[in-house]
Amino acid sequence: MAYSDKVIDHYENPRNVGSFDKNDPKVATGMVGAPACGDVMKLQLKIDDKGIIEDAKFKTYGCGSAIASSSLVTEWVKGKSIEEAAEIKNTAIAEELALPPVKIHCSILAEDAIKAAIDDYRAKNKE
Amino acid sequence: MNYFELFGLEADFSIDLTSLATTYQALQKTVHPDRFAHSSSQDQMLAVQKSSQINDAYQTLKNPVKRGEYLLQLRNTELPEEQSTFQDVDFLMVQMELREMLAEIKFAKDIDTALMSAEETLDIQSRQLWQEFEQLLGQHSDTANQQAGEVLRKLKFYQKLYIELERIEDTLFDD
Repeated sequence: MAYSDKVIDHYENPRNVGSFDKNDPKVATGMVGAPACGDVMKLQLKIDDKGIIEDAKFKTYGCGSAIASSSLVTEWVKGKSIEEAAEIKNTAIAEELALPPVKIHCSILAEDAIKAAIDDYRAKNKE
Repeated sequence: MNYFELFGLEADFSIDLTSLATTYQALQKTVHPDRFAHSSSQDQMLAVQKSSQINDAYQTLKNPVKRGEYLLQLRNTELPEEQSTFQDVDFLMVQMELREMLAEIKFAKDIDTALMSAEETLDIQSRQLWQEFEQLLGQHSDTANQQAGEVLRKLKFYQKLYIELERIEDTLFDD
């Protein structure tokens, strides 16, 4: 299967790989997995007290499309408010990376990772 | 006729893989094209269809995850959608650690030992899940069947880990 140039670029030069301390109150962690292909994705957002995402990191074990989808998402969410980040749709990710139909689930995984991280942030910050 | 019946088996999870392979060979012989060389084209076509059905059945019954899913389907269990995202955080954390363990193997001082201990870790954890799965199947209730389907989803991650371990082993001993 042929990967698009953008997928290859993100795969070979993934942006923002790594981890933040998940116990840091500013850090939100989203963990998601895809049983069909065994992919595991961790997306972490560092969110300031105004609810703006100041930094993002990811760690993904999976195929090129899964890695590219999560790498792209870390670039997209930076500078966005959590509300704006929650609006990111898998279709936009798939379109940007020109993912073929069999790899659409990788973009869904990345969208779900953002949602899971935001859920984690809200759970951590509700008093 | 379901796949188990086709192979003359009870619809049961535990099966003997050696006799499954023997039955598969025997069944394929009965529909081999050579036997239908002088038959009508309709009979030839039926034999081809039967052969592909025997093949599908064999591929499904041979693989424990597929066999488990098939068995649950026979029990009319609604399985979680294949593409739906898995969100069990604790389980995924462990998966992340296992992936890291596999990625570290190539840096180990003693690679053989690292490979063996990685395989043992996967064996221990997946064996536990298989026991849980069989125990749930034995309960024959809708709830237990559904829970068994969830356990199978977890086992798919382990299938992937075994494939990854094999791939690492291949690359390490290739050069």
